[in-house]
Amino acid sequence: MKHIIQQVFHSGKFIVGFVILAAVLLIVIVYPLLIKDAPLAIIGQGTFFPPGTYVNAYDSLGSPKYILNLEHAAAKRIASKLSDDDRLAMQEWLVAAGIPENEIDISNTEQLLRQWENHYDPQTNIAGMTNAKRNYYIRLNASLKGLLSTEGAIIAVKNADTGALEETGDVVAQSDYVNIGQVANVRRLPLGTDNFGRDVLTELVAATRVSLQIGFVAGIVATLIGLTLGLLSGYIGGLVDDGIMFITNLFTVIPSFVLLILISFSIGQEKRGAVTVAVVIGFTSWVWTARAVRAQVISLRNRDHVNLSKLSGHSLVYIIFADILPYVASYVVMALILQISSGILAEAGLSILGLGPKTTEVPTLGLMMNWAMIYQAPVLGKWWAYLPVLVTIALITFSMNLMNTGLDQVFNPALRD
Amino acid sequence: MKHKTLWWLLSSLTILALFLSACGAPTEAPATAEPTEEATEAPTEAPTEAPTAEPTAEAVAPADVAASLPRNETLYFNGQQWGAVVGWNPYSSSNNNAMAISQQDSARVTMFETPYLYNMLDGQVYPLLADGDYTWNDARTEITFKIKEAAKWSDGTPVTAEDVAYTWATHVKYNTPTGASNADYIDTIEALDSQTVVVKAKLDENGKAVNPLMVAAYVSNNYVIQKAWTQTLEERTGGDATELLADTAEDVVYSGPYHKFFTDDTKVVLIRDDNYWGQDASMWGKLPAPKYLAHTIFKDNAAGSVALAQGEVDVSQQFNSNVQVLWLNYGLPVSTYLPEAPYGIGASLPTAFYNLNSYGLDQLAVRKAIAIAVDYPTIIANAMTNQSATFDQVPRSLMNPTPGEQALYDHEAVKDLQWAGNDIEGAKKLLDDAGIVDTDGDGWREYNGQKLSYVATCPNGWSDWQAAIEVVAAAGKKIGIEITTNYPEWSVYQTVVTKSDAPLAEGYDIFMMWSAGAGPTMPWGRIRNMLSSEFIGMASNWNGNWGQYSNPDVDALIQAIPSESDPAKLKEMYTELVKIYLSDIPSFTLMYRPQSFHTVNETVWTGFPHQDDGTNPPVPPLDLTDGWSIAGLYNLTLVNP
Repeated sequence: MKHIIQQVFHSGKFIVGFVILAAVLLIVIVYPLLIKDAPLAIIGQGTFFPPGTYVNAYDSLGSPKYILNLEHAAAKRIASKLSDDDRLAMQEWLVAAGIPENEIDISNTEQLLRQWENHYDPQTNIAGMTNAKRNYYIRLNASLKGLLSTEGAIIAVKNADTGALEETGDVVAQSDYVNIGQVANVRRLPLGTDNFGRDVLTELVAATRVSLQIGFVAGIVATLIGLTLGLLSGYIGGLVDDGIMFITNLFTVIPSFVLLILISFSIGQEKRGAVTVAVVIGFTSWVWTARAVRAQVISLRNRDHVNLSKLSGHSLVYIIFADILPYVASYVVMALILQISSGILAEAGLSILGLGPKTTEVPTLGLMMNWAMIYQAPVLGKWWAYLPVLVTIALITFSMNLMNTGLDQVFNPALRD
Repeated sequence: MKHKTLWWLLSSLTILALFLSACGAPTEAPATAEPTEEATEAPTEAPTEAPTAEPTAEAVAPADVAASLPRNETLYFNGQQWGAVVGWNPYSSSNNNAMAISQQDSARVTMFETPYLYNMLDGQVYPLLADGDYTWNDARTEITFKIKEAAKWSDGTPVTAEDVAYTWATHVKYNTPTGASNADYIDTIEALDSQTVVVKAKLDENGKAVNPLMVAAYVSNNYVIQKAWTQTLEERTGGDATELLADTAEDVVYSGPYHKFFTDDTKVVLIRDDNYWGQDASMWGKLPAPKYLAHTIFKDNAAGSVALAQGEVDVSQQFNSNVQVLWLNYGLPVSTYLPEAPYGIGASLPTAFYNLNSYGLDQLAVRKAIAIAVDYPTIIANAMTNQSATFDQVPRSLMNPTPGEQALYDHEAVKDLQWAGNDIEGAKKLLDDAGIVDTDGDGWREYNGQKLSYVATCPNGWSDWQAAIEVVAAAGKKIGIEITTNYPEWSVYQTVVTKSDAPLAEGYDIFMMWSAGAGPTMPWGRIRNMLSSEFIGMASNWNGNWGQYSNPDVDALIQAIPSESDPAKLKEMYTELVKIYLSDIPSFTLMYRPQSFHTVNETVWTGFPHQDDGTNPPVPPLDLTDGWSIAGLYNLTLVNP
């Protein structure tokens, strides 16, 4: 046993796969201990907030101010509101409004803005201009208000009795900075929020955990069924073999995913918990384990040590467990690993079709994908809602496949270096 | 083993690649010269191949042309047609032919036409087949209107008053859906002469019209169908009602500007009738701009959205979540009716109904607690991606956000009843005061010793509703009432919810349904649908009041409003209804929703309706095919002529 484990950990592929999987498992276990936010809590009012650090604007007004005189602050401020494309569009408008093109210098912000202020009129109808373009100019015009101002912003509060605005005396100058560490409310959303306004990272960790559980349950169920049937069929042979192989062949010709879809659909959503889905996946994916185990057992069945065991009067159960199982064990472990990874993929596939577990109770990787698709995250370019999920699925299955290949090299003499 | 591993690796990579490729930002569609060239080629090819068999060549041509319609002559839609067309029979309501047939408050008038066109923006009707406004007699029991001299059928014969009368007679004779839903209000429709139509209302025991509102709505909601063709149809089907409704009516005679060009299970194409009577100066004075109206049948909303972004769809009536991203982030020439959120004009009130027979939901305190605890701003921002007015902007009532309806009730009188939501403390206090507290310490409240536990539900796949229901469930957790969610398939959901002759099935404690939108009978029709007890006890109830609420005061008001014509009295009655609704809380509105979503891509066409577009009367944002919105088809121009 020790020797085998040593051998296994000499396989480079296995180690890489193992490290990735261990890292994923570690994150899944440690993250919830450190960050105790509820994974399904709706925190964002709005959909798909981009990844980043969210600083409470109200609190930052009251935080200690530091004056930093940075060289390009004003230029950056202007650039954030007025891109090169915007300047070209302004030029286009001004030319259409009758300003000679040579009088417009789009690199001269001050002059451009003055010309714009003097000539832009949202009511003017320019021939050939679409409504989308017209809306664009209205938005642009609004965002340019006070762009060149060097004055600070004055803070005022509403008087509760009169409703009038009263200045607090606070002025936020353009060179004022706050230190994030001193702002009372800062929330880091490394992967932004999803369509419900949930923290994607927290949800992803919880979902990975559930998906791994589904994978494990599905893998174990599939492997147990496959192993049992394979052992019985291979060792006993005869009618039992024919019977089991008949069923196995039936399952082989029906594509298991179709079967999975049909069963999931007929269970109905109210009864589709994560465990149920896992068991259903397990029940539809045992076939090739059974066939492979049976083939191995048939070749083992007439070996000397088995015959000896038979002659000694050992029971069927004893022979299977003591004389046959150890020889197929390495194969079964490898099959289990593959079953787990295919279980995770199957859950994802089912959920994308809307046949996964119920939504509110637990997040799963497939459900996250499903909602990202429903809210058109790929079309809208909200990559953080689905790409991390994809990468997680890919990493888990990739690591398990690597481990499997590594094991294969160790146990299969033909593949040994 | 090796192969298996390889296969798995490959499959995971393929999945990754698939999604990666899907996430690329949609780029602006390239110039549309290509399809145009192909299309002009098509007709020249067909005759040379089969000069002797001309009919077959013609029969093939639409398919060829439809395969590559000239982009500069075609207006593409999405969100209306979700499967192959069944038929063209205007008497039937099961044609699955959204592009041509839809008799509703703003009836679709592409192929068949109504006497009047309803305009949801100003609440007025405008004559189409009719000539001038209709008039009521003094007793408000008869409507009289004339048919335009110019109005012609596609076979060249004039549209007459007799056609209008015969259409109604046929609806009644064969008990069509239209006949069944109007027979209680309309007695007869008669032709005084070839141009004059009289619609006579059913009278109650006092000699007054049962419901003048429904009578007036008939003339803008329902098509006029040719008498001669109807007789052909009757002859063909031998007077059998089922067969008449099942006839696919490929030979139907129509009066509208478009008719069938091509359909299969991938697209529906209507072609303009260049002899359309409406180019007469007494109507539009010209033909509508697009020669073809085409609707590709998309697999789902996502596919339709991609097509919209790529400029393959001009007018989108589906829910495109975060639609502003298309112009803000991608700079596409896409726009909506309003430039900023809520982007459209709200017309209907998607509402969560309480099953009033569920345990504990007969208690006002429980209903009110849940309703005031729900986080409506989050529903609007997340589920609707801000494509709904908020309840701060338009406080809740039974009215939709249009100014016309908002003016119909006294805002001050019900101010204290209009909750804004998110009132967790208030909800808790309400329940505590009612003695509904957690007695056994499990974290959930009990009423008379039994735990309050509900299922909130809506159809599976209705994404914005599902997201809204999730927020409702979250509110329950905050106030100690267990609410779980469940999403049955629509086929199951609709049979349960529309069966009102028995208590609702388990698992339907809080469920979402729609309300009526904008129309000539609104807001009365919507209020009736939401509150009237006449809809309890039906085997199939598609009208409303799905939670089975019953209040004699409300029924009396609903009964009285249609015959009332004094605006001050009406306002009083509507205010009373809003007051009762907001105090009894048999249901609570979750969001406002446009009559139909209206997003346009101006890559090829421009001149779509938008706020302050200068049209008078204003063209409503309804797909350019429904009611008065068809006027928009005459305003379209090409971006690059």
